[in-house]
Amino acid sequence: MKLELPVATFVPILIASGLLLAVVLGPIIERLLRFIYHRDEHFQLLLTFALVLVFEDLIRIFWGASPLQTNNIYFAFGELRLAHNLAIPNYNLIVIGIALAISLGVGWFLQATRFGKIVRATAENAAMCEALCIDLSKVYVAVFTLGVALGTVGGALVVPATAASLDMGVELIVDAFAVVIIGGLGSMPGALVGALVVGLIRAAAIWLYPEFEMLAIYVIVIAVLILRPRGLLGKSA
Amino acid sequence: MTILRAIEVRKFFGAFCALDGVSLVIGEGEHVSIIGPNGAGKTTLVNVLTGLLRPSAGTVSFKGHDMDRLDPLRLSRLGMARSFQLVNIFPQLSVRETIAVAAISSLGMGGRAFAPLRNNRSVWEIVERVAGLFGLAGKLNQPARSLSQGDKKLLDVASAFALNPEIILLDEPTSGVSTAEKTTIMQVLVRAAKETGIKAIIQVEHDMDIVFGYSSRIIAVHNGKILADGTPEMIRARKDVMATVVGRP
Amino acid sequence: MSVASLNASLPATSRHGARLVYVVPLVGALIIAAFPYMAGPHYAILMFSAMGFAIALMGLNLLFGFTGLLSFGHAMFLAVGAYTAAYLTSAKMMTLEVILLTAAVAAVVVAVPIGLLCIRYVKIYFSMLTLAFSMLLYSFLFKFYPITGGDEGLRIRLPAPLLIDLSKLDTVTILTGPMYFYVFGMLVVLTFLMWRLTHSAFGLGLRAIRENEQKAQYLGVNVQRYRLLAFIIAGAYGALGGVIVAIPVGLAEPSLAYWVQSGNLVFMLLLGGYTNFFGPVLGAIVFIFFQDQLMSYTEYWRLTFGVLLAVVVIFFPNGLMGVVDLRRVWST
Repeated sequence: MKLELPVATFVPILIASGLLLAVVLGPIIERLLRFIYHRDEHFQLLLTFALVLVFEDLIRIFWGASPLQTNNIYFAFGELRLAHNLAIPNYNLIVIGIALAISLGVGWFLQATRFGKIVRATAENAAMCEALCIDLSKVYVAVFTLGVALGTVGGALVVPATAASLDMGVELIVDAFAVVIIGGLGSMPGALVGALVVGLIRAAAIWLYPEFEMLAIYVIVIAVLILRPRGLLGKSA
Repeated sequence: MTILRAIEVRKFFGAFCALDGVSLVIGEGEHVSIIGPNGAGKTTLVNVLTGLLRPSAGTVSFKGHDMDRLDPLRLSRLGMARSFQLVNIFPQLSVRETIAVAAISSLGMGGRAFAPLRNNRSVWEIVERVAGLFGLAGKLNQPARSLSQGDKKLLDVASAFALNPEIILLDEPTSGVSTAEKTTIMQVLVRAAKETGIKAIIQVEHDMDIVFGYSSRIIAVHNGKILADGTPEMIRARKDVMATVVGRP
Repeated sequence: MSVASLNASLPATSRHGARLVYVVPLVGALIIAAFPYMAGPHYAILMFSAMGFAIALMGLNLLFGFTGLLSFGHAMFLAVGAYTAAYLTSAKMMTLEVILLTAAVAAVVVAVPIGLLCIRYVKIYFSMLTLAFSMLLYSFLFKFYPITGGDEGLRIRLPAPLLIDLSKLDTVTILTGPMYFYVFGMLVVLTFLMWRLTHSAFGLGLRAIRENEQKAQYLGVNVQRYRLLAFIIAGAYGALGGVIVAIPVGLAEPSLAYWVQSGNLVFMLLLGGYTNFFGPVLGAIVFIFFQDQLMSYTEYWRLTFGVLLAVVVIFFPNGLMGVVDLRRVWST
């Protein structure tokens, strides 16, 4: 069955599906993680690794192991012709726009809203917040779900440009980590800078030396670790 | 003989000035108490003197070595030990093992990777002796996290002593401990210092009875500066110090 | 000091509990030694692999259980070992001792720079960094077909232990016979070495670092050097294990360095119990046999493992040996 939907609904559907998934999964996973909050950080890593395994097989069961594509969405918005042989699909521009809007939105949320301030306070000193009658469990669920939503919406938006594959997640972990190392731990502007660096290097590598695409990122991470361990904009240890 | 020297030390945390031109010289045989109201900069001073913080300006030297090039590890090798204001223990290690870590360092045996520690008699002799000095002999097998607050404090101090240091800095060694226990701890400290041949003790202290009862020298700190530096008699005669620090003339 | 528990010096709450902790490893060793006679060739070869994983896991536990560093890239050393074996056997160097020694040296060469970079970070950052390096090795092995054989991998021919000529026998007989006992001997020797290492002054220093890095420094422990040494030794054990694991497969392939492999190693460690010295060995054996059985029943083994790992993490963080070593069950 083919749904003939207007092009304008594509992006909202992608975002909405991401949000819906986050709202369903977020609280469930957070509840699982709550069992081990009081323990060593390592257990969070292990539990989320277990979830990765579970999700991978669940995806296999529902959709099979081969990557799925939605190229029709990617090209449905036309393209912006910059020069004779240089064109950018408008979809990319739409995603960039949405990404900027979301990061500004999240930044505003954390800085300006009451809940955002509670979130930042909880990160600093959870016990104090509890003493001030803040329901920590609500904060945790909300923040976790927000984090999940950023992931699911991001994943949904990137699928038309590449494909939905099983190891998307792991590649992203490494990329995300490269972003944090390059930009600097504990710095939001650093994350932005790091993401730009990683993205541009990726694109450059694909164009110049496709073989080195994966290696290029790792090499930069190692270089940063050696030359400037705290990252470009990181706070010193 | 000068052991520890600070010259015009300044420390800023952002715009806040915690230490504003502190100079002092500590020599052999001294038992120095650092006193002052909360926020005066006592702990910052101790942290700078023990290499945990770098001064923003000025120099600190230990036994002639510029502290700038020393880190806690090298300081411990040179003969400096410290205890902490907030309890600092190895939660899952036993009392015996905690003291053993220090004993191993003092004997320079850290590199022994294949000899069973169990058979190393010199380490266990030190452990038993130090534990005995601090009244922890009956609790040698207990994990550190199961000790009472006072005992945890004692263990922190005991492990510092087991390093066989030349100078020891104690950050409020009797805080969080009942009044009765305070005297016991101080007596233990003084006796342990005598027995282990420590050359100087520096102690951040709030309890004035202890300060005047045990120190040979008192340094009063206020607003990041040294208000007064002298013998207990001299300090007691200073009305301004007594008013600021103790709260009564 | 008590024997098998990592956090020694605890009085035995019950003699029954204390004795079990001694008995399980001894009985286990006997079972492993007698295994080829007890079970068929398929399972004996499985135990062969399990012994290889056990060696690698002992290295991983030196890092995690003792030093508090959870490496999510330990599999890179499995790959180092396997590919060393592949290169040497294809260059007609078939002496197993040379292969093992070269693998260990290669692991040290790899571990030093990676270790120097990674040990500056702790907790999750260390885990993610080691993951990144392992994936770096994976992509290198995957892409550079001319050197590494790409995703097809490189063949490993059966090496000869102790210069004994085994060419008259078939592979299965070798693997369940002389090679099997050789590897068992390796396991015993390496276990003994690790025991001495962890019960020495160095081992106590590592545990002090795990408990409180700052205080350890103040008590004269060179934190960075100890961590680096632990990383290097763990890497060497990983490579030695990698050689053993790859021999029955006869192939060195990039997937050995893939993050899932590292995750499996961590899973094995948690399953067996990281707070007990013998946990790694038990975890390796249980995991390998369980995986073997599971894969013949369903292709969705990841799902099962994921659920199992989640259960272990939440309810049995000290693993199987934690159940045996009753003193430590409820303390984490």
